[in-house]
Amino acid sequence: MKTEQEIVLETKDLNFYYGKKLAVKNITMQFPKNMVIALIGPSGCGKTTLLRCFNRMHDLYKGIKYEGEVLFHNENILTKETDATQLREQIGMVFQKPTPFPMSISENIAYGLSLKGIKNKTEQKDRIEKALKEAALWDEVHDRLDKNANGLSGGQQQRLVIARALAVEPSVILFDEPTSALDPISTSKIEELISELKSTVSIIIVTHNMQQAARISDKTAFLYLGELIEYNITDKIFTNPDNELTERYVTGRFG
Amino acid sequence: MKNKKRNQKNTSNAVFKFLTFFASSLTIVIIISMIISLFYQSIPAIQKFGFVDFIFTREWSFNKDIYGAFRPLSGTILTSIGALLLAIPIALGIAIFITEICPAFLRNIISSAIELLAAIPSIIYGMWGLFTLAPLIEGTVQKAVSSTIGLLPVIGPMFQSEYAGGVSIFTASIVLSIMVIPFIAAIARDTFTQTPDILKESAYGLGATKWEVVRYIVLPYSKTGVQSGIIIAAGRALGETMAIAYVIGNRHGPLNSIFDPYTTITSVLANEFNEAVGTQLSTLFLLAFILFIANFITLAIAKIYSRRGLSNEL
Amino acid sequence: MNYKLRKIKNVVVLSLSVGATGIGLFFLGFILFDLISKGFSSINIELFTVDQTPPILDDVKGGLRHAFIGQIILTVVATLIAVPLGLLGGTYLAEYGRHKRIGRVISMLADISVSMPSIIVGTFVYAILVKPLGGYNGFAGAIALAIIMLPVITRTTEEMLKLVPWTLREAAFALGASYNNLIVKVVWRGAATGIFTGVLLAIARVAGETAPLLFTSFNNTQLSFDLTKPMPSLTVSIYQYASSPYSSWINMAWAAALIITVAILILNLIGKWLINWRYKS
Repeated sequence: MKTEQEIVLETKDLNFYYGKKLAVKNITMQFPKNMVIALIGPSGCGKTTLLRCFNRMHDLYKGIKYEGEVLFHNENILTKETDATQLREQIGMVFQKPTPFPMSISENIAYGLSLKGIKNKTEQKDRIEKALKEAALWDEVHDRLDKNANGLSGGQQQRLVIARALAVEPSVILFDEPTSALDPISTSKIEELISELKSTVSIIIVTHNMQQAARISDKTAFLYLGELIEYNITDKIFTNPDNELTERYVTGRFG
Repeated sequence: MKNKKRNQKNTSNAVFKFLTFFASSLTIVIIISMIISLFYQSIPAIQKFGFVDFIFTREWSFNKDIYGAFRPLSGTILTSIGALLLAIPIALGIAIFITEICPAFLRNIISSAIELLAAIPSIIYGMWGLFTLAPLIEGTVQKAVSSTIGLLPVIGPMFQSEYAGGVSIFTASIVLSIMVIPFIAAIARDTFTQTPDILKESAYGLGATKWEVVRYIVLPYSKTGVQSGIIIAAGRALGETMAIAYVIGNRHGPLNSIFDPYTTITSVLANEFNEAVGTQLSTLFLLAFILFIANFITLAIAKIYSRRGLSNEL
Repeated sequence: MNYKLRKIKNVVVLSLSVGATGIGLFFLGFILFDLISKGFSSINIELFTVDQTPPILDDVKGGLRHAFIGQIILTVVATLIAVPLGLLGGTYLAEYGRHKRIGRVISMLADISVSMPSIIVGTFVYAILVKPLGGYNGFAGAIALAIIMLPVITRTTEEMLKLVPWTLREAAFALGASYNNLIVKVVWRGAATGIFTGVLLAIARVAGETAPLLFTSFNNTQLSFDLTKPMPSLTVSIYQYASSPYSSWINMAWAAALIITVAILILNLIGKWLINWRYKS
């Protein structure tokens, strides 16, 4: 691993509150470009909450507060001047359960494109094909692009959602437990895909599945009760962690 | 350039949000306008009769230009109570049948058939009630009752009528009860099915019969839902117009028997509103206002009481 | 002994509930049978092609063409007014106003308005659109019907939009969509079948309404396309014909009653079928 890595996303003393509850405590960490970074920890440790700070998803709800900084390409995105809408075009997100829109496969992808201002039909068509190929879905759906996306299997739907995120060419994609609702075969396809995607985008993935983190991530962060306990190269975290709490968690003794 | 795009997006969202808010606020605007305009039109009648006196005045005379609410108001209340007394046991029976007894393949069909009763327009109930049911009741139930119970001392006269044709407060209650059965049955059915199976199964496990499970598990569990369903049905019954207008007989005379024709607020409105002027028109507006408030309060009680989701009237 | 008694009680009560269902189904059958037996024989081509004729002329066959067309005009105008407003209003309740107090209050008031006596709506519209304008008019009738439809469509839209999973909205936000854009392009689309069904049921509901038209559009013996004049409608014509002493008119009322009931029942069945197809499979 090179030590001098380009940093795509960085938090500095980040605190996040739901009402009065401090859910993310004083987190400072860096996310290098073109890597898969896994956030692990027991339920309620704040890993998903942290993830949702990066695309300002919390803004949709009332009574929330950010403190500190989140730097995206060295620019703080927690300021009032940040347009969350534009930010989300550059930082995509994939959710726990597949979220295909109630429209056809191609329209699902075209929707994101037209949000970005790409409305030319030919260009859309090319981009749709490219995104579906990148998401390893093209071969399965190329002959039924105008069919409703709800007809796809769970794993296909999740890959469609990934294709939809890829189509708008974000620099980061956030994955929030993307395989927790999928069967093992679909899961391994998604994992394979994530490993391939890191050449084009940076990936941050929340997972409750430690084997998954060990398989696909380059670096892993262990969070507990809203705090960052340990953040290091994945191999190190799983074989020889510095912190005792981390060791107990990754060896399955709590969590 | 980027900022311009952002501003456009924010503006169009704000405009859209305002449009949706405006459209939803129409619900409030309409209700408030109704209260104001109906009350405003009622002022001459209130000034002339006084609100409390108006409620208790039995007279309804064009010649003297005196109109009292007592008969239409009592007619509305009596027909509604009569309808509910008939409808509640039948509707609960239907709900028990659908949820507990009916074989699965018939459940949907019977449910839908009962719901279709609610879809039949009220004017159809009126025509059927006037031309078919009223003569039938006169020739059967009314005849049988007045020649038996009607001969008893003291209460006998309540079951005798000098009016022919079968249009009466009794017939009106029957028609009205058929119209509200589907509402109560649908709400009762929905709340019955929400009883957790585990409760029912543990009662069966103790050796309870089906009826005992319904009586001691299902009914207590769904009490609130069923009660609010009955209140909603009462609101419906109070405001039902066309069916009543056909079969109540529209008579502003004293009510001596359940087989006498009588009047209700809605039937007075349907029959007299178009020709009314002056005090009479204002009186009719006052009756409409009273009905509006009574209906509103009834339904508000039901809604607050139950906090249900999608109303079953849809 | 005690057990036997309980058994008997059980059988008695269950039989009563079968009987209650029988009563309900009996009356449905009775009414429909009565409608068909009295109305079917009076359905003929003149009913749809000829307007009202004086009932005393026995040799001239009258019809209800004017009332059919008037009914369609009133229903269409009411639908055109109520659908966009109900769709937008329900959208506020399910989206922008979902967690606001005002949203809950409006939702409850709309719920109450669904059960508002329709004749009250008639008197209200008379007070604001007939009395001040100097006469019965078709527009007032359409407004009265729209006022009845509005809360139905508002509440159905609200409920149907709430059935669209919240995560779909988050997913669209995550792509960089603005709220109004994702409501129109994603949420409405996801709820389209349900909303359409709600509109069908609202139309079915007002298509049989008589009371709100009595004092608003009133009636007209002739075909009229002028919304500023009294407009004929099937339901008011049924009321008028059925209350008349002429047997030819009463027969026509039965025929019209059969047609309107069948149309409304079909709309209801389509609505139920759509809901089953979309939400229960």
